[in-house]
Amino acid sequence: MKKNGWIPTVCYQCKAECAILVRLEDGCIKEIRGNPKARGKACVKGMAGISLEYDKDRLTRPLKRTGKRGEGKFEPISWDEALNIITDKLKSLKDRGEAHKLTANFFPHSITDPKWRFLDAYGGFINTALPHCDSGKIVACIKTMGGVPNHHIPPAWFTVPKDGIMIMSGRHAFGGLDDASAPGHILDAKARGAKLVVLDPIFTADAAKADWWIPIKPAGDTAFFLGMIQHIIANDLYNKKFIDKWVREGDFNKLKNYIEDKTPEAMSKICDVPAADIKKLATECAKAPSVGVDSFKGIMLGQALDFGHAWTIFLAVTGNIDNPGGQPLPDLTPMTPVEPVPVGPDLNELGWHRTGKDKESFSNYSFIMEPTWYQAQAIKNGDLKVLINSEANPALTEMGHKEWRDAVCMVDDNDEYKLELLVSYEIMLSETSKYADLVLPDKSYFERWELLYMPWWYNFGKGVLLRQPVVEAPGKCRHSNEIFIELGKRLVPEYFTFKDDVEYYDIQLAGLGLSVKKLQDMGGLWSPRTMGFRKYEKNGGFGTPSGKLHLYWEDLEGVNQAMPRPGLAPEYEVNIDKYPFILISYRTIFHAGAGQWTHNNPQLRDTVSGFFENPVLINKSAATKLNIKDGDNVTMSSRTGQIKCKAKLTERIRPDCVGLVHGFGSTVGRTATMGQGVSDNILIPDSGSTLDWQDVVGGESHVSTRVRIEK
Amino acid sequence: MKQLSLMIDLSRCIGCKTCIVACRNFHGLVDYEAALPNEIPFYLRVESKREGVYPEISVNSWVMPCQHCKNAPCIKACKADAITKDPDTGIVRINKEKCAGEKDCIEACPYSVIQFNKQENYAHKCDLCFDLIHAGGIPVCVETCMTDAISFGEKEVLRQRAQDEGKDILKKMSAQSILYVQNPTAS
Ligand code: SF4
Ligand code: SF4
Ligand code: SF4
Repeated sequence: MKKNGWIPTVCYQCKAECAILVRLEDGCIKEIRGNPKARGKACVKGMAGISLEYDKDRLTRPLKRTGKRGEGKFEPISWDEALNIITDKLKSLKDRGEAHKLTANFFPHSITDPKWRFLDAYGGFINTALPHCDSGKIVACIKTMGGVPNHHIPPAWFTVPKDGIMIMSGRHAFGGLDDASAPGHILDAKARGAKLVVLDPIFTADAAKADWWIPIKPAGDTAFFLGMIQHIIANDLYNKKFIDKWVREGDFNKLKNYIEDKTPEAMSKICDVPAADIKKLATECAKAPSVGVDSFKGIMLGQALDFGHAWTIFLAVTGNIDNPGGQPLPDLTPMTPVEPVPVGPDLNELGWHRTGKDKESFSNYSFIMEPTWYQAQAIKNGDLKVLINSEANPALTEMGHKEWRDAVCMVDDNDEYKLELLVSYEIMLSETSKYADLVLPDKSYFERWELLYMPWWYNFGKGVLLRQPVVEAPGKCRHSNEIFIELGKRLVPEYFTFKDDVEYYDIQLAGLGLSVKKLQDMGGLWSPRTMGFRKYEKNGGFGTPSGKLHLYWEDLEGVNQAMPRPGLAPEYEVNIDKYPFILISYRTIFHAGAGQWTHNNPQLRDTVSGFFENPVLINKSAATKLNIKDGDNVTMSSRTGQIKCKAKLTERIRPDCVGLVHGFGSTVGRTATMGQGVSDNILIPDSGSTLDWQDVVGGESHVSTRVRIEK
Repeated sequence: MKQLSLMIDLSRCIGCKTCIVACRNFHGLVDYEAALPNEIPFYLRVESKREGVYPEISVNSWVMPCQHCKNAPCIKACKADAITKDPDTGIVRINKEKCAGEKDCIEACPYSVIQFNKQENYAHKCDLCFDLIHAGGIPVCVETCMTDAISFGEKEVLRQRAQDEGKDILKKMSAQSILYVQNPTAS
């Protein structure tokens, strides 16, 4: 029977994972909407999901490499053959005592994502398809506030009171990645009398709606926030009651001493915002009924650990934690554990995938996950033998992609690849798949089961969302989760006694009195509908060891990071004369960072409904000095790479910066290869081979690479 | 006067283009398997105005569907009498059966909103979701707009609402049947 009508499920055109409704007509997807029972909105990528689903480029059967890695030559094979190759390799790796030399690179849709369960059970490592600056900010939140990482949770804009302040710090909320409803909520809050302040070197769509745009120097936000904190403390504007009660004893005095010389005047020199403006915003924030700061993704920060630290201190001194309009703390949905619960390998014991002079110092930090760019280094030192990739595109959209390509092609003395097996799950061929030994046809988000219960995003707070198959997958597609479960049954069967993904989710839902079927019947969504405020009061404090907020990080005293350092990343100082501009790698609402799927989507590349190619944005006055006109072809070089692209002259960017939209430059895909798309990553130096600092500051150089532009 | 209208709030439109894709999906404008960028028809587009010099700049965005003109030039231009203004709603519609594929309307339309289907030789455009609204629905762009920047209703009622809410009506832009409004600019 061909289905008709609206079916609730969850979008995955980007990592916001909004609840949507899909309209079927005779079993075909015709329309998409935000699910009104959740936040009710979907963005342009979500709407263009139909183009993804029915694209001619969809992969429908497993492929095996026939040429060399990188050539992209394949022959079709059966699932049996593909699975046997993987099983045999993983068996021998485990027998060699090297299970930890398996890494899977994926975006975890939940902390019990079946892919992650397999890795933990088998003993492999995870590289998330998340940038390292995320990791840095997560660690900052854990250190200061305890508990689950919460920087992924933007302030709940629908809770902002009149006169509340909303700060986007290098954050492009109107460009997606929070729930699609966030832009409307921000505008509603403004209409109620809240104020929107945007700190960004680029005049974004958010800035266009802001009450105040502050064109800050890239990564100057740590200095900016330190300047505000100094001003607030020096003028007795801080929230005494909150600090007395909730900040660990002694920490506030340490902060006072440290911050004394971080005056707005001193910080102004670093962030290039007038001291008067820093003071003005600081005073407004101290007096406002609430301040919410969003700084997730968007324009990447140079040193996320320091920034995350300054950010959380700012929230503490203004008392803006878990209050309406402030920074929400997550409320975990109590899922039933699936016994036996596997315990993953210990990175500290087995060694981080890090080479270079910081190899030892890296273990000082409690980063919980490795960034994708560690793969190249791990292959070089023999720490990575099998790599399984899904929903990510390290050969193009991750920093150091050239190193990655070189590393996966590296051979040993016997002319064997150092990386013994590279598997990539793909919805359509991508840059990464060109290097894979096996390319496995994945199911799209319209074709698979998935249980989402992380309050990481804006969706609906505590609760559960069901992603369910609304259409059948084409050809022989199988979801990566199904395959990981099958590999689990073959290799670590004691952890995979459940029948399939649905039964796995049934067990997890049991504690809520739910099952997949019941959740499906309810409309695919369960939530008590409360965020809860000041939950720490009832919980007897925060999740830190002392139960109080830790403004001072004694464990990082040795590396001089017990308090946030205001300085910019070292890369800013390298060859300023030769490379006068700072490259900002930014995002638009039309494309998701990782993955091929939005770049190969005709509607999202269409000029009318999307974003076709990525010319470099240059400030008009800066371009005039270089005699560059709008539309001119220019060469842009950094100390590690060079690209040719079109110039787009604009007033919407700082004169010392240039902007390039991230994620372009694919050489695969009917649509993705159209137009003049260039990859920002060619210009961005790799960590481990060129840069030494960025993994220890939790940074990515997406806003710190210096470039030169010539006609 | 009977005139249905859209009221587009420049203070809310963020130029995200969500409405364009949602509209295309609903009206079946995309051949999902074969479509290539820059060849797909569309019933509305985003326009924007960028003003000022760094750092004192502003950007305003809005959408441009068929304006359902008062004295529609497309109607006059069409020799086949394929275009009419519906007396009950003021919606300007192209009758596909009558359309001879002469493209005169496309030449005549001052707002460049008419699309042309080469394979089947007919002109088509925004009809304010004619069938949908007669069944009690609201136009797809209104329903799906990410920021609720578009409202739907009778033009007079929308105009009154804009006034009640203290919005400025942008007269030049609102010369036909679609209303463009924004928050009063602080000066
Ligand atoms: S924000 Fe992301 S998840 Fe939400 S509708 Fe858009 S693409 Fe889909
Ligand atoms: S906008 Fe163009 S198509 Fe629409 S009524 Fe006016 S002239 Fe006709
Ligand atoms: S969906 Fe709304 S905000 Fe986005 S372009 Fe259309 S009218 Fe503007």
